[in-house]
Amino acid sequence: MNGSYAPVGRDIGRMLQALSGLVLITIPVSLVWGEYYVLPALLLSALVPLASGRLLTSAFRDASDPGKLHGMMVAAAGWFAVALFGSLPFFLIAWTVALDPVLLEPPTLSGRAASTVSAFRNPLNAVFESMSGFTGTGLTMTDNEEALPRTLQWWRTFIEWVGGVGVIVLTTAILARPGSGSLTLYESEARSEKIHPSIVSTVRTIWWIFLLFTFVSILVLWLAGMPLWGAINHAMTGLATGGFSITDNSIATYDSAVIDFALIPVMILGSIAFPIHYLILQGDLKNLYTDLQTRWMFGFFGGGSVLLSALVYLSGTYDSWFDAFRYGLFQFVSAMSCTGFQTAVDSTNVALGKWPAQAQLTVTFGMVVGAAAGSTVGGIKLIRLATLVKGIRHRITDVFVPDTAVRRLEIGDRRLTEEAANRELGEAAIIAVLWFVFLALTTFVLLLVLPESQYTLENVLFEVASAQGNVGLSSGITGPGMPTVGKLFFLFNMWIGRLEIIPVLVLLRALFTRGGLYR
Amino acid sequence: MNLDDVPVVNYVLESGPDDPVFDTLLLSGPLVIGILALVGREPVSVGLGVLYLLVFAGYLPYKWLSGRDQDR
Repeated sequence: MNGSYAPVGRDIGRMLQALSGLVLITIPVSLVWGEYYVLPALLLSALVPLASGRLLTSAFRDASDPGKLHGMMVAAAGWFAVALFGSLPFFLIAWTVALDPVLLEPPTLSGRAASTVSAFRNPLNAVFESMSGFTGTGLTMTDNEEALPRTLQWWRTFIEWVGGVGVIVLTTAILARPGSGSLTLYESEARSEKIHPSIVSTVRTIWWIFLLFTFVSILVLWLAGMPLWGAINHAMTGLATGGFSITDNSIATYDSAVIDFALIPVMILGSIAFPIHYLILQGDLKNLYTDLQTRWMFGFFGGGSVLLSALVYLSGTYDSWFDAFRYGLFQFVSAMSCTGFQTAVDSTNVALGKWPAQAQLTVTFGMVVGAAAGSTVGGIKLIRLATLVKGIRHRITDVFVPDTAVRRLEIGDRRLTEEAANRELGEAAIIAVLWFVFLALTTFVLLLVLPESQYTLENVLFEVASAQGNVGLSSGITGPGMPTVGKLFFLFNMWIGRLEIIPVLVLLRALFTRGGLYR
Repeated sequence: MNLDDVPVVNYVLESGPDDPVFDTLLLSGPLVIGILALVGREPVSVGLGVLYLLVFAGYLPYKWLSGRDQDR
């Protein structure tokens, strides 16, 4: 790595040090639950990224502020490194249980509990779980989440919670490094709008908003009847729109309409952009309808839920309107907010993978679009959909006005010049096209590697859209038994989905060019 | 010793919302959840949880209304 890549090395080192801090924060949870046998694994999981991070930061301590290229490479490589090192708790705890050291006395597991924990002895499964967590996807390699040690339940929740806001946002908040470098990194992590002129103030504001909403969400779920440990975990993963659960059948385990409805506002909070949250918390409530993305989000949530409820009711999937509405509303909001909590499972009603094709495709549409940019969601995001819809309409109506007419493309409260409109429309179109290209590519690969006739095309499309949109809903394809090629492609889909594709492609181009694969 | 001198409190007051009600909600959140964990689902803990949510939910319209009054 020469001098030009020094900022990348230094900033990845900082992210790894922040990661080691996250592992150390987990230790009190293990102590509270009396899981002392995980302590050596956790200490080693903290020590490895800490040492690697220190090595990188000291080797590149004199590096300059990152430019746009470096910012993208830091975001892409840093997220990958964090997912890689973040898999250590899964891997090491699974091996601790398997090796059964005399002094540590880990529990003796049997049946599904044993297979659930032992799945993480495979490093690929551990990295998959970690990537799924940090990217806020929620697809899992576990068979029965209830059987996991409390420490791993917490670790899955915690990495989704941190990943929802962003690893770079976390690092910036901790390091409080002002200047253009932090702004570049902030923008590379799929965020653009600032709340304050200072980037450090912006990320600190994001964190206190997120923390406040976490406390509120925990109390809402607990009052709705969820046990406290479930309320803490589901509030954190729901608000981060991640979707990991600590129960075997996600939210369906509780089989409670009250809990289903209580989770709707939690997922909605995670779908609204942080700058809008900030304004609302300042008492500027009109942003709930004046902000374009927030307005569209409520419109899509309402319209999509009604459509999905009608589809599952009219197809006879559910006998009553109430059930159709309960599951339709929850699953559409869960999909479009990219949360991935599931209430439609076989044990309580009808699994998502068995819903009629048109209903599955409606859910898939929600997963592809996602909610507001600047929130914790994945997908293409509403602002890009709005830009594409309004931009296409602008181009078509352009034909009907004289050449001399001066027209502006209006997106929300902004009136764009011709140049700015072309740029924004181009960016939105590029992301959307790339999104569908990678969606199609993984769909094609999965159709090749999955057992024939076990899954339909809509099942596969659903699962790939879920992975790339960082959603986590499953039609039943993802699991420890999934073909290795499928796991590798999903790892890639989750990674590019979280960073909105471009930074990953920039990193790969830089690596391939320097590796001499092409010039 | 001032409240500002306590490490966590100091950090929240300096980097936090700069609003006494939100500062209080942020600082009391972990305490409330800790009480729920210790006491369990009892009338007192339920009341505490409801109170926390009422303060949060009530404060937003209050800020909105007081902001409108100031604009007039």
